Amino acid sequence: MKARLDLLPFAFLLPSIALIGLVIAWPLLTGIDYSLHAGTMLRQGRFVGLDNYTALMGDEDFWHALRFSVVFAVANVVGAYLLGLGIALLMNADIPGRGFFRVAFLLPWIIPSIVSVVSWRWLVADANAPVNLLLKLMGANPIYFLSSDAWAQVVVFAVKIWRSFPFMMLSLLAGLQGIDRTLYEATAIDGASRWQSFLYVTMPQLRNVSIVLCILMTIWTINDFETPFLITGGGPSYATENLILMAFRYVFVRNQVGIGSAVSFVTFIILTGLALVLLRRQRES
Amino acid sequence: MAIDIGLVARRGLIACALASMLAAAPARAQTVLNFWDMVWGPPEYSETAKKLVDRYNAENPKIQVKYRAVPWANWYQTYVTAIGAGTAPDLSTGAGYQPVQLYDQGAIHPIDDLVAELKASGELDDFLPGTVERLKYDGHYVSLPWAVDIRVWLYRKDLLAAAKIAPPTNWAELRAAAKALTAGDKYGVAASGDTGGSHYLYSLMVNNGGGLFDAKRTLTVQAPRNLEALEFLAGIVKDGSVSPASAGYDSAGRRRAFMLGQAAFILDGPGLPDSGTPEAREQIGVLPPLSGMHGDKGTVAWTNSIMVYEQTRHYAETKDFLKWWSRNQKPLWTEGHAGPMPARMSFHKDPYFKDSALRSFIVENYLPLGKTTGANAPGIFAALNALEGDGVMQSLTQEILQGKDVGPGLAKAEGKLKTIVQ
Amino acid sequence: MMAGQAKPRRTLRFCAVTAIAAAINAPVIFMVMNAFQTTEDINASHDLIPAHPTLANFVFLLARTVYVTFFLNSGLVALASTVLTLIAAGLAGYALSRWKGRLLAGYARVLLMVQMFPIIMALIPLFIIFRKLGLINHPASVIIVYTAVHLPFATWMFRSFFDSIPRELDEAALVDGCSRLQAFRRVVLPLAGPGTAAVAIFSFLLSYNEFFIASVFLRDEGMMTVPVGVQMFMQQYATDWGSLMAAATVTMVPTFLMFLFVQKYVAYGGVEGGVKG
Repeated sequence: MKARLDLLPFAFLLPSIALIGLVIAWPLLTGIDYSLHAGTMLRQGRFVGLDNYTALMGDEDFWHALRFSVVFAVANVVGAYLLGLGIALLMNADIPGRGFFRVAFLLPWIIPSIVSVVSWRWLVADANAPVNLLLKLMGANPIYFLSSDAWAQVVVFAVKIWRSFPFMMLSLLAGLQGIDRTLYEATAIDGASRWQSFLYVTMPQLRNVSIVLCILMTIWTINDFETPFLITGGGPSYATENLILMAFRYVFVRNQVGIGSAVSFVTFIILTGLALVLLRRQRES
Repeated sequence: MAIDIGLVARRGLIACALASMLAAAPARAQTVLNFWDMVWGPPEYSETAKKLVDRYNAENPKIQVKYRAVPWANWYQTYVTAIGAGTAPDLSTGAGYQPVQLYDQGAIHPIDDLVAELKASGELDDFLPGTVERLKYDGHYVSLPWAVDIRVWLYRKDLLAAAKIAPPTNWAELRAAAKALTAGDKYGVAASGDTGGSHYLYSLMVNNGGGLFDAKRTLTVQAPRNLEALEFLAGIVKDGSVSPASAGYDSAGRRRAFMLGQAAFILDGPGLPDSGTPEAREQIGVLPPLSGMHGDKGTVAWTNSIMVYEQTRHYAETKDFLKWWSRNQKPLWTEGHAGPMPARMSFHKDPYFKDSALRSFIVENYLPLGKTTGANAPGIFAALNALEGDGVMQSLTQEILQGKDVGPGLAKAEGKLKTIVQ
Repeated sequence: MMAGQAKPRRTLRFCAVTAIAAAINAPVIFMVMNAFQTTEDINASHDLIPAHPTLANFVFLLARTVYVTFFLNSGLVALASTVLTLIAAGLAGYALSRWKGRLLAGYARVLLMVQMFPIIMALIPLFIIFRKLGLINHPASVIIVYTAVHLPFATWMFRSFFDSIPRELDEAALVDGCSRLQAFRRVVLPLAGPGTAAVAIFSFLLSYNEFFIASVFLRDEGMMTVPVGVQMFMQQYATDWGSLMAAATVTMVPTFLMFLFVQKYVAYGGVEGGVKG
């Protein structure tokens, strides 16, 4: 009886394991192999050991891409979480047409990245762009968002937050709706203010969901290719190039698959390390 | 698989890409060739090209050519994917250095025999001097020239006339004119921080007698002439004559600014005026080749060519079509309004070029001065492609347009270019 | 909440939500309005309200370009990968929910690694494998990759959802003589509607919107999906803004409608189950 049971879950996992083996596991091993060679897309090239990795450590572009990836992740997680939570709180109350609004707030996430990028680029591209027209109305000077290192980063952050918050909102809203009403009634009886009940009832109840959401969002942001690529292409002057864009550039433009694979493997290691640290913390608490 | 819609759209490049998929011709003892052609001009270009292919097919029932228009976006990925997947075309046109870069990867079939045949018949003399030789690499002719894409300084006649400024003839005059024409929301020079913008750097360096490589194909990024040229551009930026939005512009934005009359000067290909309304076209003129700091003249040019792929299984037929295409492709300009200039001098005699002040001027005065990014090195080589595509030069362009100092930027670029070119 | 306070507060909240929704969706609204202007008009000015509203872009898009092909390709790819994801993740989620043990804990950890894996690393090796199988420029390549990439999230959602279905139901079926698989099919699946709907929507959406992987494996114009095809509208020599905006507008309609009609039935929770081992 027991022996049979042990095999059965494996059977349920089989389709998934097959897919993961083909699409993730095998390429991971092959990718590591590439990172130890100096090849192109059409040829494998000669073995160079860890040279690609040491070259990366000394490359200032790499450190900049790493820094930008981290800042990008932090900015997006914080921004999307706050915005998502705010709107979820708003939506948690009784509002006519709530179903419609839920979808309306989902739009930024529903739209394909290329579509949202097109709209945003148009909004900020030059002196006559709508955002600058708005600034003019307020008496300020136009900002050339895509020409300035700092502002281009801001635009990338803004677009990413814009695209990410709906998912946060959706999950937090579900979380909010799962909170037992009696908890609120109890604190109300004790004379707590709305802010206090938010702090001491709502937030603790949302804790688990929030942690998971933030971890997921961090992973997704560090691995994000489309947003920075489609808005700025990594510019100006590589200001918005994250690790994935750097890997792309080395593989598909410079044709140096070895270094490109090394960059992506390093990204994977970093994420794994991050996840391990976070999970250990979570288990402890 | 290919949906033949039948209607040929007048507007939109996608329509042409679609329209370019011919319905499969009847099989039987026929050779089918796949010809991939980049989108070299406005919508009518791809339509005209397709009609031309239809003509060939009608005249040559034994060889049927399937035409496909390839968009420029991520073109390198398109070709490498096809080659890697074993689905490369028989022949294609492409970017300036594409044949050598793909040749290095074993994907291009040399056409020495075709060149020899053209030489024997005297037809080779029809090509602009140097263009055929430029495409010799590793001892072989890797492709046949068909057009020369060149960068020229265009200007708005209306803006200069209104300010009573004569068209500049040298760099100092250009800088002064640009400054004088900057007022309100109008700027002297339209620029961009993308690949099209990086062409400004190449053109100015070549104009000043510099270039990124020397005769031995060694990188000479920080040569004094190059530094001067870039300082000149930086000077124009510091004068305030370039819109601060430029670094973030793409070529579409830059061209739009010029075509709408928001900028007086632009460096672009000869086909730019054709993309505007007839009224706008009236207002666009071409400057004479400008004299650089030391009196040199020159500009950057790419010899666009037709290349044959190693994966072709019908080399003889491909050669036949290639020759026919090269001889009969004049309609690509007269009806298709292709952007670059023909490599064949006989085409220049057509009224399309002779009767147009702009085009005939470019043919006579700019074409002889065109040099590659590798300027002083004979022939092209693969590193040029990697160099142009990588983003280092685009990044440098962006920095200059942002007003950052040239010296450190150029030094940094040299460091990066060295790793690409190795 | 006193009854007297309820109504005006409700209206106030409604107004606030409407205003915020409009502000947040401003980029989308602009885009849709631009879709009703010709490219020339868009280039000529940055007016918000179209001066000469027209359907020309849409007519052109649907009748005279390959957009419909892109659309059908996207639909095919998204549907196929969604079905595969539902099967694979549904089975795996059930296993994770009903069984314990080292194998399953290990698998849960593997899922997390898969979620973290930067897919760009897999592109070249996959390209080579797919080339050998003749799958380049074939939708199967993309379908397989999407399914694998969506597995972690989908499995977590299913697992969490199955956790909410009491085990007693399964056990009752087993006692009655069903095999595990039969119990799964007959007892649990019928109740899995909301969870399935949730996973299906997410999976469809992510596949439908995906750009990067599709741009690598589907370069043949007849095989392209919408995001890649739309990028083609951004050409080097001229940007056809009118068609681009129209294409973008049409592109978001299916998923928007899908969410609008299905969102009632979807169970949105389920994220929590994920990361824990």
